[in-house]
Amino acid sequence: MKLKNVLSEKLVAIDLKGTNKEEIIQELLQILVDNGKLKDKELAFNNIMERENQMSTGIQQGVAIPHAKTKAVDNLVACIGVKKDGVDFSSLDGEPSNIFILTLSPSDHIGPHVQFLAEISRIIRTEESRTKILEATSTKQVLSVFGI
Amino acid sequence: MSEEMMVLMLQLGFILIATKFIGYVFAKYLKQPKVLGELVAGMIIGPYLLGGLALGSFGPLFPLPLNSTVPVSPALYGISTLGSIFLLFDSGLETDLPTFIKFSGKATVIGLSGVIVSFFLGAGITVLLRPEVSSLMDPSALFLGTVCTATSIGITARILGENKKIATPEGVTIMAAAVLDDVISIVLLSVVVGISSVQLEGGAIDWGMIGNVAFKAIAFWAICMVLGIILAPHFTKNMKRLGQLPLITEVAFGIALVLAGLSEMAGLAMIIGAYITGLSLSQTDVAHALSARIESVSEFFVPVFFAVMGMMVNFSALKSVLGFALIFAVIAFIGKLVGCGLPALFVGFNARGAFRIGSGMLPRGEVTLIVAGIGLASGAINHELFGVAVMTMLVASVAAPPMLVAAFKAPGSGYKKKLNLKQNENQVTIELDFPSLRTAQFICDSVMDGFVQEGFFVSTLDTSKVASYHIRKEDVIIQLDILREEEDQAKVKFFCNEEDESFVRLMMLDSVADFQEFAETISSMKDSEMMSSQLLINMFSIK
Repeated sequence: MKLKNVLSEKLVAIDLKGTNKEEIIQELLQILVDNGKLKDKELAFNNIMERENQMSTGIQQGVAIPHAKTKAVDNLVACIGVKKDGVDFSSLDGEPSNIFILTLSPSDHIGPHVQFLAEISRIIRTEESRTKILEATSTKQVLSVFGI
Repeated sequence: MSEEMMVLMLQLGFILIATKFIGYVFAKYLKQPKVLGELVAGMIIGPYLLGGLALGSFGPLFPLPLNSTVPVSPALYGISTLGSIFLLFDSGLETDLPTFIKFSGKATVIGLSGVIVSFFLGAGITVLLRPEVSSLMDPSALFLGTVCTATSIGITARILGENKKIATPEGVTIMAAAVLDDVISIVLLSVVVGISSVQLEGGAIDWGMIGNVAFKAIAFWAICMVLGIILAPHFTKNMKRLGQLPLITEVAFGIALVLAGLSEMAGLAMIIGAYITGLSLSQTDVAHALSARIESVSEFFVPVFFAVMGMMVNFSALKSVLGFALIFAVIAFIGKLVGCGLPALFVGFNARGAFRIGSGMLPRGEVTLIVAGIGLASGAINHELFGVAVMTMLVASVAAPPMLVAAFKAPGSGYKKKLNLKQNENQVTIELDFPSLRTAQFICDSVMDGFVQEGFFVSTLDTSKVASYHIRKEDVIIQLDILREEEDQAKVKFFCNEEDESFVRLMMLDSVADFQEFAETISSMKDSEMMSSQLLINMFSIK
């Protein structure tokens, strides 16, 4: 799975404004809309929230990976957001989340959607990578952590 | 034509019924491999026993064809060959290619030694015990020596496959040595035919022709192996875009059939081409899924192959040479056991491994009869000595399977060193506990669906002890086991490489989330008592 086929500088936001889970997800979805990657923002939001209601995607160490399969996209799309102060994402360790990786994949396609998430998760597993992302002052610096 | 087809259908029907029943009895009650039952079924219903008896005006069900070494019709022989192609294609798929390549050097030593020792023991005992044969260069001695050399890879492959031993160091060594055996045997046969024709008819040995046979056989083997290894991953990668496993399986089997035909054209046995195709595909991510699909079809054809092999045993041919034939068969047995087992000790195997390899190389099959048939047709051997070949095949086919099973039953590896296979490095285990086996199975089904959605191929490994699944996409290999614990609890174990751990965890996470939603849907259903009464209300009403 090549991350650079999915991620680019325009799909990274280093200073998210949202103050709760819904606002953060809406903000990330807007990035995808602005870049012409998303056909139906409302549908995508509902699908992501359905998934979040099943089980929160706020994992540990400040990382959250909201994701869903949806008819609102034709291909696997993703974007990265950073909010240094963090927001409550109902994460497993109870800590606020500050690195968000949102992924949407078409519901009727067979494709490496979880593999993409796994690749991302593998990279940000280390403390060093997470610190680099949080301290990044440009979108370029964030992408460099992922080798892009 | 239509009558021939009618007879063929009847023959196939009886073969299937007999092999399945007798195979079942052998496996269940006599604790013997199924293949032995299938061979015995062939002997019983074949043209030399019950099948030769006339059924009123219909005549015998298995009439002996005229002027043929093979005692069944060409059509039935064709279908049995198809069975052998299914078997060897599947054996190839089950072989581990890196291990095969790693052990091919050792297999060469073992195969070569097996051929040399068997040949000289067979030819030697013929000179020693048959007054009419005076030297090792006598055509009869040469042919009987050659009869001793060819291993029947089919019987061994079936037993190794049934016992999941093909991918072991001993398994791949046996398979590689048996394949090599076939190449050497075909070269040896052409040498023997050349020498015999000179002895019988005069003239000079055509070494050019013999060299040509040898070159064709070796070149075919080498070229197909190299091309297969290079092309197989590209083939599956392109075929996967079509997204249909059945289509990949059927096209792959088509290639196996083409290669089987070409193999025969190059002078080798057809099964060699089928094996090479399977072996080349064994490195791809679809190998397990292909094998599972092929097995369901091959169970119809493979027994026909073994039954026809059993049908070749002509009991009346054994009468006149019983004493010599028995001694010869035992010598042929020892020739392979020692000829292959002894060098195995010097190439890294322990005594257990050497015995396994020796036993694996014992079975003789149709090649024995084909060699003897050529000898008989050319006048190099008489009918009595042909009977000796039949006895060798009978003894080896009946005695080898139980011996091979017993050899592999003993616990422990037969290889001195520990195998360091790539997939065992950096392996991690992820364990999860579940309140019941049903819950575990339910969630795992959902996980496997998820893997399939991600483009993975899932196949069942073994359902006898634990539910075990092989999940693969290109280089990513994951094994999933569902184990029953105490008090009906269950444990799910994933085995994967460290770099795929996050993937497996996320996949499981998504499936558990799905399951929770499902559980909530269930609990929101109508009151269960109400549902029961709705279901039962009309059950006992009288109309």
